[in-house]
Amino acid sequence: MSDVVWLHHSLPRTAWYDLQPEQRARRERDFEEQRRASEREGGTRNGRFHVRGQSDWSHVEIWSFPSPEHAFDHWSRLVAAGYTACFEFSNQVGLADPATRPA
Amino acid sequence: MSLLSEETDVFAAAPGQRCAVLFLARWRTPRPGDLARIAPALYGEFDALRAAGWRLSLDRVLAGEEPPDPDQVPDADTDAPTVYATGFSHDVDLVGLFEAPTPTAALAGTLRLEQAGWERLFRTEWLIGPREFLPVVGPASRRAEDDWGFFALWKWNSAWQAASAEERRAYDLECDAAFSADVRDGAAIAGRYRLDGASQWDHIGAWRVPGPSMVDAAMHEHGRVADFKFTTSRHYLGRRTPFEDVLRAGERQDSPKEGTAHTP
Repeated sequence: MSDVVWLHHSLPRTAWYDLQPEQRARRERDFEEQRRASEREGGTRNGRFHVRGQSDWSHVEIWSFPSPEHAFDHWSRLVAAGYTACFEFSNQVGLADPATRPA
Repeated sequence: MSLLSEETDVFAAAPGQRCAVLFLARWRTPRPGDLARIAPALYGEFDALRAAGWRLSLDRVLAGEEPPDPDQVPDADTDAPTVYATGFSHDVDLVGLFEAPTPTAALAGTLRLEQAGWERLFRTEWLIGPREFLPVVGPASRRAEDDWGFFALWKWNSAWQAASAEERRAYDLECDAAFSADVRDGAAIAGRYRLDGASQWDHIGAWRVPGPSMVDAAMHEHGRVADFKFTTSRHYLGRRTPFEDVLRAGERQDSPKEGTAHTP
C-alpha cells in the first residue's frame, strides 16, 4: 500500500556549487545509497522534475511511501548523510484523497 | 527519526513516536452561515482524537505523562481544545499546537478535522513532525495563569550547515544559557519537534509565557548569545483562547441575533 505522497522541493546551497567534481560525486553516491535503502523499505520514486522557472526551488521529487513514518525515516537518513548541508528544502506529506483514490 | 542536534542541559530526548500537529489558520471570509451545525461535528472529532491519545492544548502537551499534582491549583481544562489568538499582530488569526500519538495518526487526524468542518472555517497550514525533546516546565511557570503562547518556527541557515561539530556544540551551549534564562523567567517550553520531514522548517518550539514583554526580553537574550547567527526563524505570539470561544466569536460575527446559535 502506498497511500502517502511525499513531495521534496530542493535548491542547491552555495556549498554544493563550491564542491569539487569528485566531492560532489561522492556526496551524490551517499544520497543515492539512502534513496535505494528507502526503496528497499517500500518507498517508490515517481520522478524528479525541474521547476526552476516556476518556483523558489530548483527541483521537485515525488515519492510514495507506505506511511508518513517511512517518509520521515527516508528524510532523516538523507539529513544524517549530509543532504541539507548541500540543499535547502521544503517537504510535504499527504494522504491519498479518499474521494479519488488512484486505480 | 533521529535527533537533529544533541541533547543539552536544558533539553532531554523524548522517547516514543509522539508527533506535533501545529496549525496556522486564517478565518475564511465570509464565515460559514451554518457554524451551529459544524461545531458539533468538530467537537465529535475532537473527542475521538482525545480518546485516541491526542493532546489538544499546549497546556496538556506541557503536562505530558505526569499525573496531576494534587498540591497544585488545578489548571484550566487542559483537555479542552485550545488555540492562540494571533490576529492582532500576525497574518494568521489562530496558531496552536496539538500532539498526536504518531505521525500516521497526525496526518489522518488533520484530514478528519478538515473534513469534519474545520476546512469550512479556516484556511490552514498544518505542520506535523516527531517530538525530539521533552517539555521543560520550571518552578517559575505560573501554569494556567500564564495565558500567552509563543511559537517559534526555525531552520538552520547555510552557516550552521557549514559549521564544524565543535562550532555547533559551542553554539548549543550558548543557546542553552538563554533557554535556561527563559525557563527561570517563567517560560514553559514544549521541548522541540522536528518539522523538516514535511515543511521548510527544521523545528518548532512552543512556549507558554506570562506575556509579550517576557518574550521580548527573551529574544534580546537569545540575540545576545547569538542564537540567530545560525538560524532563520518566524515567531507567533498569541493569547490562549478555548476553541469553544473561537466558535462563539464566529457566531457573533455571523449572526446579528447574538445567542441564538447553539454552542456545544
